[in-house]
Amino acid sequence: MSKYQMEAAPENCTGCLRCQLACSDLYTKAFNPSAAFLSVELRGPACSIFFTDDCTECGVCADHCFYGALQKTLKEAVQ
Amino acid sequence: MTRGGFAGRVLYVDLTKGTVRTEPLSMDLAEKFIGGFGLTVRLAYDRITPGTDSLAPANPAVIGAGPLVGTNLPSTSRVYAVSKLPSNGTVSWCGAGGVTFGYLFKNAGYDHLVIEGRAERPVYLQIMDDQVEIKDAGFLWGRTVEQTCETLWRDIGRPLGVIAIGQAGENLSAMSLAYVDRIATIGRGGFGAVLGSKNLKAIAVRGTKGIEVADRKAYRRLSGELFKSIREYPYLKEWQRLGLLKSFSQFPVEIYEKIKQRRVACVSCPAGCKDVVQIQDGEFAGLTAYSSSVVNLFTPMLYGFKDYRQSVKLVYDLDGYGLDMFEFFGVMNFALALAEKGLIPRREIDPEIVINSLDSMTAWARKTAYREGLGRVLADGFRGMLAEFGPEAHGSAPSLVKGMHPYVGPGSALTWNLFGTQELGQVMDPRGPHVGAGGSPTYFARRPLEVFPKHLTRMGVPSEALARILPGPAQDQGPRDLKVGRLLKYSHAWFVTLGSMGICARAQINRFYSAELAAELYQAVTGIPTDLPGLRRKVDRVWTLYKMANLREGFDRKIDHLPEQWFQAGGFKNYVTDQPLSREEAEEMINDYYDEWGWDPETGIPSDRQLKNLDLTDL
Repeated sequence: MSKYQMEAAPENCTGCLRCQLACSDLYTKAFNPSAAFLSVELRGPACSIFFTDDCTECGVCADHCFYGALQKTLKEAVQ
Repeated sequence: MTRGGFAGRVLYVDLTKGTVRTEPLSMDLAEKFIGGFGLTVRLAYDRITPGTDSLAPANPAVIGAGPLVGTNLPSTSRVYAVSKLPSNGTVSWCGAGGVTFGYLFKNAGYDHLVIEGRAERPVYLQIMDDQVEIKDAGFLWGRTVEQTCETLWRDIGRPLGVIAIGQAGENLSAMSLAYVDRIATIGRGGFGAVLGSKNLKAIAVRGTKGIEVADRKAYRRLSGELFKSIREYPYLKEWQRLGLLKSFSQFPVEIYEKIKQRRVACVSCPAGCKDVVQIQDGEFAGLTAYSSSVVNLFTPMLYGFKDYRQSVKLVYDLDGYGLDMFEFFGVMNFALALAEKGLIPRREIDPEIVINSLDSMTAWARKTAYREGLGRVLADGFRGMLAEFGPEAHGSAPSLVKGMHPYVGPGSALTWNLFGTQELGQVMDPRGPHVGAGGSPTYFARRPLEVFPKHLTRMGVPSEALARILPGPAQDQGPRDLKVGRLLKYSHAWFVTLGSMGICARAQINRFYSAELAAELYQAVTGIPTDLPGLRRKVDRVWTLYKMANLREGFDRKIDHLPEQWFQAGGFKNYVTDQPLSREEAEEMINDYYDEWGWDPETGIPSDRQLKNLDLTDL
């Protein structure tokens, strides 16, 4: 069972993709945003952040976010 | 050790023949010229025939992204281009925060793109990993930068990195820029026209291959320390909130907060300096504008615009056409001066030239982008105007450096008057005035000289050079002896270091890096054994080659012209003493600059011995 509950705050996102870079590096040993388990889509003022079904909720994406667009919370704490 | 960082291929496109091919990246060349900026200069040097017209099919447009681009190191997205540009014919570097273009290009499997020839009709280049196509762009020709990018994003989908030109580039204006992802500019001096002369409207790229690093353990350690220092930086949040506006107190923060929609970062950047804003009220309510910084959108207010909404609207239009705002205002002021002297026929002045009027400037932007009426001359920039209006016009020209309007100095957009490396750098960069290479004012302006050694050491200045730049009290010389010319050599070297790796040169970012760290990161990412002395030698090789590319065109010290306006009332001041700068002082700085490089102060030419030491004799 995953440890964290992930939350996205797209209003804070700048599209830097540090989350996708970190995720892909952890799971594929290469920096490849297209292989990440989450996806950021920035269209000017609009932004969407999606987690794929493969996301393990490990929280590495939130660890690398500088803008407060991703947060991880311990599931124990949520419960 | 395994190799990493580099994608490993160069993509060659011949638009005349309609062919594309890839070649393996020469790792010998990559090691010798670092990558990114350095290798782009090297590839361009090989393919430029001296004397080639900037808008001829034979003038190559070479684009590259460094070995750190595509990793998650902070702000490693830079994209560089090298080509001869029409504003002054120099071999010029062009640079941009690569937004998404850099990482997608690298992920498609390429480090560099070499474009030559001229397509028979408008085309765009579509790169989807290994699938590269030259596609018809008839439906994009005549459209703005914004329309072009949005159309490609709609038709092809995202993610998609796009370099595109507007109508100014299509119509070969010397003031045209290209744009990256519609929000960043690349190529002051007419890079848009170079692409336009090739009938190339846009380059669109998507890549999915991934970038590996050679030494993951070292990379984790170094990058972890770097991230920690950024997270702990007390002004990080303020930068993220305001970006460059933090350094421009003349612009109102409360207006920015009112129109701010989103801050945008290039991939991997923790500062996010780009802006999306939307006007909330008035005639232009709902207008959404994109820019490298809101500071650009407010710049017309420095030229007398009273209403920020009109200022944003004008820059929105200029960006749509792909016109360089700084050069546009310089040219319009020149045209106004010529009109007032009767040197431009009255019938040509339609509408009236009113620098702080949106209606007037909008009309002239359009005429320039489309070369309508007098716009056919204005589009060619100062060079074209001086040729058209004859010797009498010279007396009315604003300060010019290598045929372009300096962006810092008396009568320029940025009017601070201390003469530091950025200011001298406008003359000493072979391409002429452009932001970036000469160093940033925000490090130095009015800072006590005591802080200089630490900073200079960080950016790679050897300890023995510190004494030449900052003679201390022990030598019975006061602080007035800051040697701006000598220091500029190392500003250029630091710029090459950052640019060749792919790191952003903005002060907000490069302050977290050092030359020592850059060498360590380069080794960790690429696997190429690198130490600081070795890196310095490569950096010197790159800038020397860039200088040689221009010397080969005949651009020696004779074109290092210092404008007279810089030494008149209201001109530049000595950086330390605040006393008016004299021409003799500035000329001495140029001598110092060449002496520090070891080049002939009379001509600016490196010696044969030096070329041998840098292993450049085969050129």
